[in-house]
Amino acid sequence: MKHTLSSVFILIFAAMFGQKSELMVPQEAVTVFSINNLDLLKKIGVDKLISYDFMNEIHQELFDGSTDNKSLKDAGIDFDQRLNIFYGKTQNMEVSGFTFGITDQSALFAVFDDFDPLPSEIKGVNAYGSFFNNLVIKNNNGLLIRVEPVESYVISITDSVWFSRGNLSPYYQGFEFDESLNEEELLTQDVSFELLEKNYNELRDSIQYVLQQEYLSKVFHGLFEEGKSLYSNSAVFQELLLHPVAGVFYMDNERNFDRAKNLWYLKSVLPSLYLDIQELYQGNIITGDLVLGTQSIDFKITAAYSEPLGSIYLEMNNAKFDKRVAKYIKSDQSAFFTYTINLEQAYNKAYDIILPLLEKEKNIDLSLNVLSLKLANAFINKDAVFDAYKGCMFGTFNGIRKVKTRKIEFFYNEDTFEYGERETDAEEDMPIFTLGFTTGRPDVPELVLEHLSTITSNFEKKPNYWVYHKAIFDSAPLYILNTNGLFILTNDEDLAKNHPDGYGKAGLSKKTLKTIKNAGSMSGFANLKSVANQFPMEFLLPEQVPLMESLRGKSGTMTLSSGKTTLRNTEISLSYGFETLEDSGNHLLDMLNTLYLLTK
Amino acid sequence: MKITYILFLLPLLLNSCIEIIDDLSIHNDGSGTFKYSINLSSSKLKVNSILSLDSLNGKKVPDLAEIESKLLEFKSLLLEEPGIEMVKTELNKSDFILKISIEFNSISQLQSGIKNVIAQLNKEKDHKLIEENWISWDGKTLVREIPSAITSRLKSFDYSEIELLKSGTYTSITRFDKPILKTSNSNCKLNPSRTASMLQVNAFDLKVNNSLIENAITLTP
Repeated sequence: MKHTLSSVFILIFAAMFGQKSELMVPQEAVTVFSINNLDLLKKIGVDKLISYDFMNEIHQELFDGSTDNKSLKDAGIDFDQRLNIFYGKTQNMEVSGFTFGITDQSALFAVFDDFDPLPSEIKGVNAYGSFFNNLVIKNNNGLLIRVEPVESYVISITDSVWFSRGNLSPYYQGFEFDESLNEEELLTQDVSFELLEKNYNELRDSIQYVLQQEYLSKVFHGLFEEGKSLYSNSAVFQELLLHPVAGVFYMDNERNFDRAKNLWYLKSVLPSLYLDIQELYQGNIITGDLVLGTQSIDFKITAAYSEPLGSIYLEMNNAKFDKRVAKYIKSDQSAFFTYTINLEQAYNKAYDIILPLLEKEKNIDLSLNVLSLKLANAFINKDAVFDAYKGCMFGTFNGIRKVKTRKIEFFYNEDTFEYGERETDAEEDMPIFTLGFTTGRPDVPELVLEHLSTITSNFEKKPNYWVYHKAIFDSAPLYILNTNGLFILTNDEDLAKNHPDGYGKAGLSKKTLKTIKNAGSMSGFANLKSVANQFPMEFLLPEQVPLMESLRGKSGTMTLSSGKTTLRNTEISLSYGFETLEDSGNHLLDMLNTLYLLTK
Repeated sequence: MKITYILFLLPLLLNSCIEIIDDLSIHNDGSGTFKYSINLSSSKLKVNSILSLDSLNGKKVPDLAEIESKLLEFKSLLLEEPGIEMVKTELNKSDFILKISIEFNSISQLQSGIKNVIAQLNKEKDHKLIEENWISWDGKTLVREIPSAITSRLKSFDYSEIELLKSGTYTSITRFDKPILKTSNSNCKLNPSRTASMLQVNAFDLKVNNSLIENAITLTP
């Protein structure tokens, strides 16, 4: 009955709106950004648009001049339709791309001129290809898509075929040996090889190509022959598209959970536990509305989850912000976050919900772990543990400052120019961070610090704080404050030495404090100009670099706050405020790009 | 990873505040000792943070073990070269100070020995560093230059790297048994007994004017 109703709804919607671009978002998509108000983007240059990370599929168009001085309007794009940017990943493949409406196909191909026609066996569907990218046009709707097999999967198949043929490791001396040969020697070597036998890289490329074709065909079959799309599969996505806002965001965390590698192991070894945990994550979908203001873009997010998981979140978020934290965050801080949770209640609830799932599993190792957990729960003084970490955490970034380090310096004898070495003071640039949490048991961290100071002289107690010399990269000191019910780690010498009791009036204002108190469990603020432009890339993980690079050169502020938590969802609000009079479409795309990189 | 990269370019990429000393002693019979030191101790934070990465700006970042192993390879290959008597390498991993000391029978053997080792390690036979002469000695006059491979790399630095170069120094010391008659570089200092010369330049100035450490030192007959 439910299925019939859903089908009827789709038919009615399809009849109302005809063949819309959103109907071409493949079912494999896990994350979708759908921009509704395309008027905003009319003036944006095509070369600007496709330089964004979410337009990765057509970056090559930037280099052939076809996009020069062309606006989106010149590209034959239908501004009465949505632009839907999508990304998805399964165990074996990644899909990415976007769908859009078309008013003028010849104008479209004048701009995107790298695509050549491909034979299409599906009626009414025209296909075009360019390298790994495919453009499909059906009823004046376009789907630009890239389907790629997951690299680790390609490598595992290649290795399997390669070694089954009796080959040695492809990395054994081969490449270094080739580098040492001149052109003539390389030619002789090539001639002496068995030309019909592929080398490792050729084999890998062939496997990648075959898999790519297979997956692309699978995606097209689902979309155009079975008529299955994300839209037809997800009632949540359908409902989201009805929101009268500039754009919407959809992320199916349930499927993200499903493709996690560690769960693949769980799936194989403990299948019934996997199913139970999967049930916990059922309905875990994050949706969001992008609301455009005159000088801000508000992103209102709703994270939905199953009731059992919701009951844990509900307990976890039932906590009050500790205002003592506010004294340690300056009112002009470049960036800060606060996170307030009731860890003890969350632990108790999680124990009640997750332990029975684990107990059901008939596995000796797991059963012993369950017993250990029960014993720990019975014997450990949980009140003391959860009193040591009371659940209100904060972190700040306060730009780049010089920190004191030690260096070796060469000094010269002016008579002989002989030189020796001596250790002297030095200064180096360092991002300044502070991380702290509230504690009801300051004696516990003090006990640990006292003990460490007996082991190494690097731990030194000062009147108001501890200092751990050479703690950061074996060079810069870390200061530890255990005061006023707070345990704080920082490399900010000024905070430790001059403000051990907080910044006083220079701390957060009452207004900001009130906002944080009303925010729920999470709140955050970032001044984009100082964070993105000052934060040293060397301190970031490789996957975080594109995100920070995308923010460089931007101005404005980002504020984050979580709202109400219920048994079924939590609300989160992210607001991007800007002062410049630049076209708001640009800001919308900037924010979209940031979110795309965050969720990819 | 190339040894030239470690010896000359990596320190400049990691520039922050770098101190480089080359110290060449030549005896009357043409034999001598060449010492090369790179001191990155005032950039420990930056070096440590870079070493913790897999790659930077698309280039693989070698770990300390790889650098040590390449140094050992450099040392053993150089010891096989004719006219090279002793090679010592030392890497201070906590302060990031690298020292190399080479005893040689003649300047030409020192130069060709280093070139051959670079060629073997780099596998780039047409490398400018290998083709050019950096030093010559005719028994009376010593002429020193910077290879153009190094100067062209210096010139390719972007703005942020240039800012950091400004605090770096390059010191070139040359010692003889006999007193020095004259030097072509007016910035060159002589010790009271005139048996040693020292030329100290700022790494940034060296980028702007790569002839700054070029010098011809002539000895008294």
